Amino acid sequence: MSCNYFMIVYNAQTNKMLASEIVDCHVLVIGSGGAGVRAAIEASRYGDVALVSKSIAGKGGCTTMAEGGYNAVLREADSCTIHREDTLRGGAYLNDPALVDALVTEAPERMADLIRWGAVFDVTGERKIAQRPFGGQRFPRTCYAGDRTGHEIMATLMERLDATGAEVLNEYAVIDLLTEGGRVTGAAALDTRGDLVLLQADSTVLATGGGTQVYDISTNSAAGTGDGFALGYRAGAELIDMEMVQFHPTGAVYPYDARGRLVTEAVRGEGGFLLNTRGERFMERYDPERLELSTRDVVARAIATEILEGRGTDQGGVYLDVTHLAPGEIETRLPVMLEQFLAFGVDIRKEPMVVAPTAHHIMGGLAITPECRTTLPGLFACGEVTGGVHGANRLGGNALADTQVFGKRAGEAAGKAPKREKKIDPEQVETLKGMLDAYLAGSANPAAVRRELKIAMWNGAGIFRTADELGGALATIDRLAGLPLRAASPQNLIECCTVRNMCTTASLVVRSALLRPENRGAHVRKDVTTSWEPAASLYGHTRISLQGARIEQREGTA
Amino acid sequence: MKEITVRVSRFDPATDTAPHFETYTVRVNDGARVLHALHAIHDEHDPTLVYRYCCGSGQCGSCAVRIDGEPGLACMEEARDGMTVEPLALPVQKDLAVDMEPVLKRIARIRPADDAVLPSQEEIEAIKPLRDCIECLSCVSACPALQVTDFAGPTVLRQQMRLALDPRDTQNRIDEAIEKGLFYCTTCKRCVQVCPKDIEIPGKAIEKLREIANRRGLTLPRHQEVAKLVEETGRSVARTEPTFLEQVPEVIEPEGEVRGEVGFFVGCMFNGRVPQTALDAMEVMKRNGIRVIVPHDQVCCGSPLIRTGQTSFINDLKQKNIDAFTRRGIDTVMTICAGCGATLKNDYETPFVVKDISEVLTEYGIEPPAKLDITATYHDPCHLLRGQGISKEPRELLRQVVREFREMPTQCCGAGGGVRSGVPEEAAALGAKRDEEVRKTGADVVTTICPFCEFHIADCTDVPVKNLATLLLEGYRKKDAERSDE
Ligand SMILES: Cc1cc2nc3c(=O)[nH]c(=O)nc-3n(C[C@H](O)[C@H](O)[C@H](O)COP(=O)(O)OP(=O)(O)OC[C@H]3O[C@@H](n4cnc5c(N)ncnc54)[C@H](O)[C@@H]3O)c2cc1C
Repeated sequence: MSCNYFMIVYNAQTNKMLASEIVDCHVLVIGSGGAGVRAAIEASRYGDVALVSKSIAGKGGCTTMAEGGYNAVLREADSCTIHREDTLRGGAYLNDPALVDALVTEAPERMADLIRWGAVFDVTGERKIAQRPFGGQRFPRTCYAGDRTGHEIMATLMERLDATGAEVLNEYAVIDLLTEGGRVTGAAALDTRGDLVLLQADSTVLATGGGTQVYDISTNSAAGTGDGFALGYRAGAELIDMEMVQFHPTGAVYPYDARGRLVTEAVRGEGGFLLNTRGERFMERYDPERLELSTRDVVARAIATEILEGRGTDQGGVYLDVTHLAPGEIETRLPVMLEQFLAFGVDIRKEPMVVAPTAHHIMGGLAITPECRTTLPGLFACGEVTGGVHGANRLGGNALADTQVFGKRAGEAAGKAPKREKKIDPEQVETLKGMLDAYLAGSANPAAVRRELKIAMWNGAGIFRTADELGGALATIDRLAGLPLRAASPQNLIECCTVRNMCTTASLVVRSALLRPENRGAHVRKDVTTSWEPAASLYGHTRISLQGARIEQREGTA
Repeated sequence: MKEITVRVSRFDPATDTAPHFETYTVRVNDGARVLHALHAIHDEHDPTLVYRYCCGSGQCGSCAVRIDGEPGLACMEEARDGMTVEPLALPVQKDLAVDMEPVLKRIARIRPADDAVLPSQEEIEAIKPLRDCIECLSCVSACPALQVTDFAGPTVLRQQMRLALDPRDTQNRIDEAIEKGLFYCTTCKRCVQVCPKDIEIPGKAIEKLREIANRRGLTLPRHQEVAKLVEETGRSVARTEPTFLEQVPEVIEPEGEVRGEVGFFVGCMFNGRVPQTALDAMEVMKRNGIRVIVPHDQVCCGSPLIRTGQTSFINDLKQKNIDAFTRRGIDTVMTICAGCGATLKNDYETPFVVKDISEVLTEYGIEPPAKLDITATYHDPCHLLRGQGISKEPRELLRQVVREFREMPTQCCGAGGGVRSGVPEEAAALGAKRDEEVRKTGADVVTTICPFCEFHIADCTDVPVKNLATLLLEGYRKKDAERSDE
């Protein structure tokens, strides 16, 4: 079998695919989630923008799925200082303070943008944006649109994007960044037929979102395969804190094939109780003060411990109960949850949900400056693919704010970057073609590889970790990464490239986890003891790139 | 784990001339969704199967397909053994993936004013029910109007209303809505039936847009004539012959023992245009021991006005009708017109219960009629099937009175929502589709319980169309004739 290769360059000015002539766009944005679309909107003020997305723009990624809300300081009684402190404390002081400053000060402005652009957030009787309490925060500052907040943000952004001149390329999967002398000059992508498309740009914004699909149990969309981490890493960018994977405390356990599906934190925000099979409100034992509204790392470990110690249900979960709330309240505040559970035969107005932890968010990612510059010239990044904003544990509601604050910043910085002469490195393209040809001649079923990888990650790099188990997971990943993946047809090439990316991302997580010999935030090593408070830790970021991997260490004693 | 067999439509426009079905047997877990069955096919049997999906939790609208003919989200619908999975009725890119972009592009986008501010709570609450849409295009796949017109589609019109409700928007969404086919919707509610978010597009968007259009003088002239007639006469049908109400007393006593009592809401069509059918229905009630009270001061239910957005004096009509029945202490009101029944049930707040004749007869149980020596099929009136959720009762009654009953696929006949009078070409085209289906059944007669459907289908097919009550009465007459023969 052979595959057709078209040397195609996208021309944002004429919206034409040209066979040989090389025309470029000013800013190429990869990813159409909240961060990518926000970046494209901003960048379009400065020049031609092309937005390329693996899914249909507006329909892919995790932003559309976000239910609970968006954190922003909007009331007199609240303050950016408190939001900053909550975020740092929640993040176990691993956050990059400059990024946190940008997040908390600009989240309200970006919220105002959304409102100006037509977003339909819940509003109070006093005509103020309604806010609900979320875990780990001292003020109810989570703005929401029922429990379809992310969908609302996405719809609003897509409407705004429509008013710009940005060109949208739907259903193109970027398989590698193009580089020229250490500078990123665009990207290579596959369309749904498996044809290779080359995209050139003065600046490239990576906004591919997260990657917890590398775990067996995950909340992420099918696009959450960590492509961006792998793309950035292979191009030479540095990533930080990749070991920091948030396990959301409450994922659905039934039906089995949809396990991991998120049960929003808003359920607890609205007053839901966590109960074990003995009927105990067990959070009293783990965090008597904040109870169900403790930070996610604490609640996830509490639930995992209850299940491990035999106080879980037959399905392997604990109860999350809202039956004490008025049915009407459940209907208006948690409509999506109500509808999803009803579809699976559970009426949450009358019976409890069964939940267990699920891999949710990767706090680590490409290292960025507050202007969203990565360590590679020409490459900017924003959203979940970046590291540093959330430290060792993300607060619910901060990720959506992150997409808007840093999406704008990335779009602006990329847009303002100068125009350049660009060349495509023929050698890189040849190498890619070689890889694709090899997939067409390969033998390993990518679906089987993916399944084995996900299980290895869940078992070896999950909520509780040891060096041994991490080492075992790494060995499996390395073996899987070496298998000759098979594309049954050119249209299956994307799957092979995705599995390749998943292997890379998984390996970044595990290698980073091996580097951090402390318990901090979401990272818990059963084989080490940590005698210090997070704020006093001697360790800083883990840093990983093609150059090597290390953990930052301060002088002094803990 | 369990094993299920799934039939999937496969099609590659680049190489195939037409889609074909492939059957796969796969293993899935208990509670698996259609999407998981597709994954199993893709992962274990045929990796070239193409289908679109993303969030896996009913929020992104990527994975809608037709499951046993019904549009739905693959990630939410439970996988069934023996199910058939097909793409939505949109241009197929490959297998189950369709080209969504042309429709998505027609969905209007807000153009907010520069000084737009936060809407009020009431404004937000009004918009929200129309904002739940995930643009999965199930409604576009299912909408009958789209088969015969260039109607932009239910969700496209939904968005017009969502924008019309937003104080931040600056555009004229009504003129746009008319261009996009505001008057093409028959209000058949097929879109509501298939919507994974249960968005009431006809009631909350189409009829509301028509209301605004009405206030701007943009209602279709034929519809305005109807409104004028109702305003002047209390009836949407002009009097050409003695009406039903002129022919009957206020109380119609049954023969023999009185088993029950209902009030009767006759509706304009049965009152003025086809009174004989209403009279037939009264005979059936008499025969079955049900006393019928017919307030003569009842008026048009308002349906033709609500459906076309002409609601300025609708409250008067509602009040007159409610008073007419409550004054006589009636607690159950029977309708024999699907449109009136749906209106009284859904658009009124009545202190009495409203029931279709098929519900009343089923509840009391009927004296078995003789079987007519004919084959009959049944046309589901939209306002009965989806407007009132009634499908079983008419079929069961029908089976008792005909030699053979044959099903035909359900679809709007094209008469509703003011389309028959306002956009006759569309109504005729949809009617022609009914004719095709009717003829496929080979039935001698088409039965229905809606005078609009009855009239319209009769115009579109050579097969006689009859109201269920008339058939029942014929059954009783036959029975009596047979008895007197003996
Ligand atoms: C179920 C769920 C609920 C959540 N709820 C909340 C919440 O309530 N509050 C909150 O703050 N956070 C929440 N989060 C987290 C938050 O939604 C995400 O962190 C955030 O939306 C990520 O946005 P993003 O733009 O970076 O990425 P995404 O929205 O995930 O978008 C990534 C985009 O990149 C594209 N892409 C990926 N790979 C490629 C490639 N190779 N080529 C081309 N395109 C590619 C995808 O198609 C997609 O369009 C939730 C997350 C999940 C999964």
